[in-house]
Amino acid sequence: MSLRVMLASLRRHSLMPALVLLQIAFACAILCNVFFLAWQRLEPMLAPSGVDADNLIVVDNLAAMGRSFTAAETDAGERALRAVPGVRAASAGFALPMVNNASILLNLRGSTQVTVGVSAFFGRGLVQSLGLKMLGGRDFVASEYRPWGIGASNGDDAWNTGAAQPIIITQALADKLFGRANPMGQMLVDPEDKEGHGYQVIGVVKHMLRNQLGLAIDGRADYTVLLARSIGNTAMLNYAVRVDPSMRAAAMQGVKKAIDRQFAALMSGGVQPRVEFYADKRDEALKSSRATLWLLLGLVLAIATVTLVGIMGLTGFWVQRRTRQIGIRRALGARRMDILRYFLLENVLIVGAGIVLGMLLAYAGNIMLMHYYELPHLPLAYLPMGAAVMLAMGQLGVWGPARRAAAVPPVVATRSV
Amino acid sequence: MVGYGFELALQGLRRFPRTSALAVLTVAIGLAASMTTLALLHALSADPLPGLSQHLYLAWIDTVRAKPITYTTLDGTGVVDYKRLRMADAEALLAARRAFRQTAVADMFARVEGGDAGHGNDETILAATSDFIPMFGVALRDGRSWTAAEDTARAPVAVIDSELARSLFGADRAVGKVLRIKGHAVRVIGVSAPYAPQPHFFALDQWSFSGSERERVFMPYSAALDVGAEARRSDGCDADTAKDKTLFSVDVTRCSWLGYWVELDTPQAVADYRTYLNNYLQQQKDLASFGRSQQAQLLDVPQWLTLQNVIPDNVRLNVWLAGSFLLLCMVNVTGLLAAKFMRRSAEVGIRRALGAPRRAVMLQHMLEAGAVCVLGGVLAWPLTLLGLALLRMQDQGFTDLARLDVNMFGALFVLATLVGVLVGFLPAWRVSMVQPGLQVKSA
Repeated sequence: MSLRVMLASLRRHSLMPALVLLQIAFACAILCNVFFLAWQRLEPMLAPSGVDADNLIVVDNLAAMGRSFTAAETDAGERALRAVPGVRAASAGFALPMVNNASILLNLRGSTQVTVGVSAFFGRGLVQSLGLKMLGGRDFVASEYRPWGIGASNGDDAWNTGAAQPIIITQALADKLFGRANPMGQMLVDPEDKEGHGYQVIGVVKHMLRNQLGLAIDGRADYTVLLARSIGNTAMLNYAVRVDPSMRAAAMQGVKKAIDRQFAALMSGGVQPRVEFYADKRDEALKSSRATLWLLLGLVLAIATVTLVGIMGLTGFWVQRRTRQIGIRRALGARRMDILRYFLLENVLIVGAGIVLGMLLAYAGNIMLMHYYELPHLPLAYLPMGAAVMLAMGQLGVWGPARRAAAVPPVVATRSV
Repeated sequence: MVGYGFELALQGLRRFPRTSALAVLTVAIGLAASMTTLALLHALSADPLPGLSQHLYLAWIDTVRAKPITYTTLDGTGVVDYKRLRMADAEALLAARRAFRQTAVADMFARVEGGDAGHGNDETILAATSDFIPMFGVALRDGRSWTAAEDTARAPVAVIDSELARSLFGADRAVGKVLRIKGHAVRVIGVSAPYAPQPHFFALDQWSFSGSERERVFMPYSAALDVGAEARRSDGCDADTAKDKTLFSVDVTRCSWLGYWVELDTPQAVADYRTYLNNYLQQQKDLASFGRSQQAQLLDVPQWLTLQNVIPDNVRLNVWLAGSFLLLCMVNVTGLLAAKFMRRSAEVGIRRALGAPRRAVMLQHMLEAGAVCVLGGVLAWPLTLLGLALLRMQDQGFTDLARLDVNMFGALFVLATLVGVLVGFLPAWRVSMVQPGLQVKSA
């Protein structure tokens, strides 16, 4: 059976195929965008954290009211945490992983001349306390740390040290900023900071998930750096505490007590410190993303069902209308297989045309969404994905009616239905 | 003719019950998805204070004596600013009394105790001036609001809401009782109904939508400062502010922490006030050296809410998604109905041959399509309630406001009917084009 005959037949009765085509186009356009939105939510969930998630306790919401914490109080807290049985390492820090109420953003440019917005973690000894895996280079040494704090003074020269600051970056950043070149010892500059002296890469860690999960999309999840900053006088701080896996529960209790002992008297105004395992914080942080994903999954299922029902209903009717033709073709020698193949192929043709229209719609929809919301471009890779799903659904939908068509006996041709 | 057409339509619906049910269900799902997202958007974009908000304006002049702080974000955009004033400027504007009513507003924080010490809560205090309560429509149940004289005298008085009154004093009648805020005595002079406009437009720095959070104490900001309530955030501080007074507990004389709202009843009054603000700004000669914006702003409530982007992006995004899903459902139902109608071509042919005009055939099938969609609308109602219940379970602060009100309920049926007409047109037209003779012959 030639394609020309098939096309001629489609042209003669164009309402049904046109409706199927339209349905496929809309479904394809919505699905591509929904997959894309879902991936935006899924990406931070799947990104490796890089830290020792199960054994890391993060303390946040430590905020001083009316006065700031002094460097001495910050250090005393760190010492008290180290003394807790079961604690392996503890660091005072700022904008640490999964801390959602503080973040530090920097712009960095390396030899590839690409400017990348990165999150920074501040604190002494974070490689140890977070349990990061170093791939090369070295950790900061004690003499490199400079005190820093928010909402408090640590001396005028605290930020600008007059020389390049050492920096530890992730593998993903090294690839983005330096391409294939060896990152070690290379310089990074902040294009916005005209007075700064830049940063020199001294180490590379495997993964380090940034703390604003909303930005952890488009492969930017690992765009995080460590700077050689210890926490001095500050109005706000976090602690990262790594504990012995066998003593998690006891260490948690100890850490809570230590924080209470050190900070209860220093805080006021009903602000309570939060002491939680990293894994639990991540769970909490991803709650709304999970809810959205369920919603999108529901939408995908609804679209799939509606489209399948639509294709089945329409082709079912269309096959029924052509029962007599099928009978004639069978009587003229077409095998069951030929009939089956005819309907499957016809469906591919209609769905294919629908997909082409659908892709245009998907792209237009994405451009419209981008105009209104902070959304990146729909990557082209989503289009074939949507196309494959639609083709599969089309074939699935037509399978039943096509089988029924193939079962039409040749004798039908002799009856007038 | 309509009656007969309707009868035929109902019969048609019963003819292939499975197809009809599928069509109804598809319409229902599509409508329910759209209504759920629209109901949330509707709830979030409602006027926070119907009847009052159209006369309220936020007045802002940037008078912080410091270079503007630029924040780096990934998209290069600056950080939100809440258009607040330094206290000195707020006081100057208040003293001038150029608007019908005016008030400075800020949320402040302190532990508030009742008669017996130890029994208390950490409260968000709405610190303002005497005009706030009439301007913003806080309903007093008992007692009175404070006066302008009490503002000036820094009188330690407060209006509390009935819930706090019950919690602290065990009864609604708390007028005359004494609160203790950080050890200071504050006399309760009025009890109000719980007050929670949505969005929380007069202090968006704290929260925008919340079913649970609200201010339960209203008092003069001068007295709130005297008793040691804290102002926690600001839009910026003068360059000479001590660094540890810029965050959490801000220096109230150097940082901009007071929102300034005025009530203006005529366009002329708005224009005059704008001129007044600009003149005020011109007089602040020392500002020029800091490179701040030299523009006074007077924003009405809708402008202010748009500027602050209070409706979360994903709420609108979901409306778009659900809308396109409804479109898909409509195409689908068009297909289902077309198949259903074309199955009865023979029957239609006979009707036409017996003299039924095209119009009657068309009407019958449009009515059938309409019936499918109205039934879908009826079914969409419980589905929408289910969708809203699911939304409320998401617990994102604003989602607990998702309710289906009477208006939305009406909109659902208008939408269902509209969908019916749109969906029915093509199949009904197609089937009305059936040639009478041909069908009789082949049947």
